[in-house]
Amino acid sequence: MRINPPDSYWKKDVSLFFSRKFALVLKFLYPIALIVPVAASGIPPQYGAAVVGIVALMAGTFGAGETLTTDINDGILVRLSLTPRSPYRIALEILLVNAVLDFLQLLPALLITYALHPTSLIWMLAATFGVFVTLFAANCIGIFIANFTTSPADVLLYATAILFPLIYLSGFFRNRHPTGTLATIRDFIPFSYMNDALGVVFGMAGGFTPAEIFVYPTIICIVVAAAVCLTAPRLLSPRL
Amino acid sequence: MLVLPVIERRVHVLEVENITRLYKNSGRGVEDASFEVYPGDIFGLLGPNGSGKSTLLRVLSTAIKPDSGSFRVGGMDGLERKREVRAKLGLMVDRPTHYGDLTGWANAFLFASFYGMDRKKAERALAELFDYFDLAEYKDEKAKTYSYGMGKKLALIEAMAHRPELLLLDEPSLGLDYTSQLAYQRKIQDLAESGAAIVLASNQVDEVESLCDRVVFLHRGRIVAGGTPDELISSLKGVQRIVARLRNPVEYEPIGEVEGVQGVTPEGRDLVVHCEERPGIVAEVVEATVKAGGDIVTLSVERPNLEDVFVKLTGEALRDEDQPAR
Repeated sequence: MRINPPDSYWKKDVSLFFSRKFALVLKFLYPIALIVPVAASGIPPQYGAAVVGIVALMAGTFGAGETLTTDINDGILVRLSLTPRSPYRIALEILLVNAVLDFLQLLPALLITYALHPTSLIWMLAATFGVFVTLFAANCIGIFIANFTTSPADVLLYATAILFPLIYLSGFFRNRHPTGTLATIRDFIPFSYMNDALGVVFGMAGGFTPAEIFVYPTIICIVVAAAVCLTAPRLLSPRL
Repeated sequence: MLVLPVIERRVHVLEVENITRLYKNSGRGVEDASFEVYPGDIFGLLGPNGSGKSTLLRVLSTAIKPDSGSFRVGGMDGLERKREVRAKLGLMVDRPTHYGDLTGWANAFLFASFYGMDRKKAERALAELFDYFDLAEYKDEKAKTYSYGMGKKLALIEAMAHRPELLLLDEPSLGLDYTSQLAYQRKIQDLAESGAAIVLASNQVDEVESLCDRVVFLHRGRIVAGGTPDELISSLKGVQRIVARLRNPVEYEPIGEVEGVQGVTPEGRDLVVHCEERPGIVAEVVEATVKAGGDIVTLSVERPNLEDVFVKLTGEALRDEDQPAR
């Protein structure tokens, strides 16, 4: 399969990702720089898991939102959307390729974390999958935000406004053992599963089983992705 | 046996009916535009900046919905069957952009693929066009290193490669050097000869006059006149244009007060006076120019062109003062 010259949106993004060598090195280094010192320290497990989780959330949300708003401002995305290619397909490709590329950036840091905190393979896989679905969900949020603004700075603002309550409800720092309605809400937030699995990696007892971590956030992400892709005609239309 | 006469009926590629699209914040846009474009036609939309040309092209490219009205491309409703209509269109916007970190070739290939061309066809068509527009030696350079004119040529390639039935071009020649302009004009004519219809929005009179089979004038969002360039120009009986090249800029309002002068348009170092054809008027215009402090370098009296038609119709110039004539 030839990536370059690209014949689809995702191949275009992969080509661009690997075309800027210096930026590429930085993209791989910054998660290591943020996560590895935390993993190597004696930080309490819940905070170790929270740091990894927040890096994943920020990378996903800001990455997709900023890239999209920049392309919308340039006019290039609108121009592409005026071809016969389905806007839903373009939106889905934007979502998937950004999530996978973000995941690739985080993977080395995750592997180093697992080396520093060895645990069973199933929990490593569950945590890795949890990080991926978190990145996927975060990219959904970024794309959703890009429907309402063409300013990368606004993306940061709106993302913060959306992520803070979700981080609280996911139990990253507080509210670790919610009850009643809060517990139900927590189960619908994909980040909760990643946080739980990473907590296990860092040495805590988990609240979910590995099977739950693989199944539930997958279902939630499919629904959220479908909803975000339905915004494609608006997302790709000129902002006047 | 009854033999019915054969009536030649040309099937239109584009049919525009009463399109209106006004921007809420400015109130500008396009109002009640109707026209038809046939296979092989090069159809000009001529008007000054802000007259509604780009808005009309945005509607026809399916980028924005009209407030009212409809259009059909190849018989298909442009509002209902957008994706099928888009497959028939080639589009060049007035400010084309590209993925700067991709090569020119990769950008063009991406568009060709999005228009449904397979790899082999795309490579063949793009190789021919890159060669035609003298971009072959730069095809592997990143698009961000391209000059403005090269970017325009790349956008033309992206618009043409899939051989669209209807090509929508917004100010295509702006920023192109003379050789590239000739190349682009020849290509447009070739496409039209092969049956494609072309809608060309421009305020470059000479380009529209030499390329277009039919023209409509847009003024403040409305179509104010239409026809072939010859018909429109020949409707101006007794009108001429005096072109004075000046060494210095002058206040030209007094020249407009000379009896019979319909409009005065500065075009770079030239002052173009649209006026009636009557004895003595050239001398009066020269006198008014000199009185206004103008130092005339050269002077010519020319037959009217489409710009004079526009001035006659609207009393306004077709180009901004700071926009050079070619």
